[in-house]
Amino acid sequence: MKKVAQQSCEVPCGGIRALDSKFKICSKKPTNFRICYKALTWSLLMLLLFPVFVFCQSATEAMVQEAADHVRDFFKDKTASRVAVVQFENYSELTDLAMQKIYQLLTARLENDKNISVSDLLLNFANGRGDFNVSKVNELDYLLYLRFIQNKSKIGIGMMIFSRWQDKLVSIKYCEKNLGPGERELLNVRNFAFSEMGFSKLSEFATKKNLMDVQSTPGADGQTQYFFYYPDEIVIYTAREDRLEKQTATKLNWSRPLYPVLHYHGKLLLFLFNHELIMTVGGNFSSNAQMLTLRDNVWLETAKIGFVPFKKLIFNGNSYLVGASYDEGKNFFTDKIYFMPFSDPAVVSGIIERKAFPAYAIDFSTQEDQLQGIHLIDRNYRYRLLTADFNETAPEPEPKGASLSAGDGQWLAISDYSRQTDRIFFYDIKAGGLRPVYSGKIPGEIQFISAGVWQNTKGFWVGCQLPHDQDDQSVLQFWGKRNE
Amino acid sequence: MNRQKLPAVFALPLVVLFIFAIKPHYGGEISVKLNEPTTFTLNTANYSNLILYSLIYENFFYLQKDGTITTHVFEDYRFDAGSKTLILTLKENLSFSNGKPLSAKNIQQSLKMFLGANLFAASKLNKVIKNIRSVENQILVELLTDKADILDLMTAPELVVLAENEQSFSGPFYPDEWEKNHHLTLKANPFYAGGRTYLDAVKIVFTDETLPDVFLSSPKSLRENFQEFDSGIFQNIYLCFLQGDVGQNTKIALYTLLKRFNEASGFKYRELNTLTSDEESPVAIQIKTITERRMASILKSSDIKLYILASLSFLEKDLTAFLKKNNLKIETLFIDDSQMMNFLNSTAIQYVLIDKIFQTKIPIEEKISRILKESSFNQFNVKYLRMLGELDEVKYSNSQELLMEQIARISEAIINDGFIFPLFQKQYSLYIRNVWQAVEVDYYGRPLFQKARKAND
Repeated sequence: MKKVAQQSCEVPCGGIRALDSKFKICSKKPTNFRICYKALTWSLLMLLLFPVFVFCQSATEAMVQEAADHVRDFFKDKTASRVAVVQFENYSELTDLAMQKIYQLLTARLENDKNISVSDLLLNFANGRGDFNVSKVNELDYLLYLRFIQNKSKIGIGMMIFSRWQDKLVSIKYCEKNLGPGERELLNVRNFAFSEMGFSKLSEFATKKNLMDVQSTPGADGQTQYFFYYPDEIVIYTAREDRLEKQTATKLNWSRPLYPVLHYHGKLLLFLFNHELIMTVGGNFSSNAQMLTLRDNVWLETAKIGFVPFKKLIFNGNSYLVGASYDEGKNFFTDKIYFMPFSDPAVVSGIIERKAFPAYAIDFSTQEDQLQGIHLIDRNYRYRLLTADFNETAPEPEPKGASLSAGDGQWLAISDYSRQTDRIFFYDIKAGGLRPVYSGKIPGEIQFISAGVWQNTKGFWVGCQLPHDQDDQSVLQFWGKRNE
Repeated sequence: MNRQKLPAVFALPLVVLFIFAIKPHYGGEISVKLNEPTTFTLNTANYSNLILYSLIYENFFYLQKDGTITTHVFEDYRFDAGSKTLILTLKENLSFSNGKPLSAKNIQQSLKMFLGANLFAASKLNKVIKNIRSVENQILVELLTDKADILDLMTAPELVVLAENEQSFSGPFYPDEWEKNHHLTLKANPFYAGGRTYLDAVKIVFTDETLPDVFLSSPKSLRENFQEFDSGIFQNIYLCFLQGDVGQNTKIALYTLLKRFNEASGFKYRELNTLTSDEESPVAIQIKTITERRMASILKSSDIKLYILASLSFLEKDLTAFLKKNNLKIETLFIDDSQMMNFLNSTAIQYVLIDKIFQTKIPIEEKISRILKESSFNQFNVKYLRMLGELDEVKYSNSQELLMEQIARISEAIINDGFIFPLFQKQYSLYIRNVWQAVEVDYYGRPLFQKARKAND
């Protein structure tokens, strides 16, 4: 089931990013075409319900594979050819959605070809035609033209390879297959067929390096403010359409002892207390976290805390800050969980310690502010769950990645046990277990995952480091369920 | 199995292991075979020390093999052409290994101490610096001339951040435990400006009980499971006569003795017939040796105490055996490089074996200048000063011929004055066990352990 779920959820790359000179973080919404996960999941359900479709589906796959093989054969003696589909027309009975799926299938196949560098220029597919970003054509060596036709009961694909340098068609390929009614239905399934779908990447932003956490809170004017936590400052943004606009920044002054680190890790916590906004910030570079209170639009440090607070929760009717402490200068937490009674932002006392495990990642799931469970990735990359009364459930046998976040006691997001090309896995934890429901590709390595909200949609912020990070920038993505 | 192919065979499992490493693992200890130091006072006179002290003292700047200059202690550095000032901005909240603040004053003081040292690199820097001031977290280095390449001079491995307290260290590690004649354990400095190392400790071993993870050896001594790095440096060994009243016969006899010693040990050390390197020097130095009988006769009638720098302690065993076998009553005494400077003005030391390490890439004129400046000791005089000045002049003449001629003249003068005889040259490769990854080797041939970690961690 897990494997099927993963396969069904290949979400194409979303929109992008740019940190412009006016300190706006811009994003581009994924196009409708890109939000095909619903249909894909519907396809998955269909596959489960009607196994015969599995057989039918292979006809499309075989056709796409044949086309991809032709491309591979054509480029087998060439290296680093820059290729993209730039024309895609549909004259068959298949719908636009089916074309989108087939295009994805073909692109995925072509991306595996080491001799070519494939660009995905498709912006949208509507009314039987693909809409491509033609401004990039000058950067290509070869252009691919695709055409779908109906040949009696068969569907045919015609592919032409055009060489920009020779200014002529250099290869033509046609193949056709008989698609059964089940497969056609599967391909043509409409977007709105099912609302119960998984997570997808809703936005992507370019950020400065060393971003450690993102949290949000409603501002005084009711507009949501997004707090970006860097080692030396908190930058506060508000959303303007799909962009983030910088509102203000607060310098963080850390005092000795300070531990220079190779990799920055930290947690930011925001909450309201007696009508005042409280913020705590801590990290692996300082022994103490800072508690800051917003008064007259100025953040004042009201206390230092000997651990990094993660959440504010209720125990026996009393408020507590709960958190953990990094091994100084390193990338993991020590084996203790701390509970600090919270009644005054200036008072730090009565801290209770409970033993857990040294962990790369920790988060606390809550329900109605009550502790539900403590989720950890230990130093052997095993996921562990501690119940609210610190009983340990059996660790997961499969190793997991080193980032984790729990959202509202309902979802848990965990990074993959891999390097360079990461994945994010979403688990349903409502019933107390760890039920995999969705996964998605991440470009590069996940640096942190943090449960949050983006434009009223609940989900997870995912900080990523790209494989060849340039210009001191990282990528921040927001994954959520668009229908929620 | 072909031994040449072994590294590739071992590389494969390492790649697999690397793929599944998610976060760098903190922990572990790497063992390094080096010469035992006498103190923790900075002394980079030889290659072994160069490595050891780089582990506990942080350089102002690092020069990578590709020529890139990096720093861990400065947030920013820039040259203000208007005021001819190099402005170094220190990172905030830095500390020494014991937690004491590392301030701009420490940087200023460290720079001044370096400039006061009897080092060629220091004298070069001295010539261009007018004044050094510190203002808050900035160090202002005023220059006498427009010297945009001052940063190159500041990459000297001897220019390190020193604390007022001898028990404080600025490097990635600090000394924790020292078992004399056996090992020295360095612990990770939690306040290291470059970011806490992945390693918990470096164990410097002085014995051959076990094969360490990192060691120096002659090039191409193929070792299974080890990767060889070209250190890019060589070590020259010279016989020096510190007093002017040593007779020529005694000098030649001692020189002959040491040449015969190398011969007897199967030419363990490469013969050196120039002051720098035989490959680059325009002149070869031919010092005629004498017969064994004559040598023995001269040495037997002389009361000879041969001082040897501690960095040449690897000679001790063989040399003692050789002297004993030849029934020569020459006393050998090993002294620390730092102690030797204190002896210079006394008559206690007449004969001494010294070593100098050089980067292969450094131009010959710089090497010869360094020998003249650092190895002429109390015999440095106006003549040498003039020769160095002339060398500087021809450097800017763009005439390679003139340059070589001047180098030849200096070599001739040094040999004729008879205070330094070149003996041997030792070349080094650095061997690192394959299991360790991300160990970088800088321009000066020093292994940098900041990001070193085991492949399977």
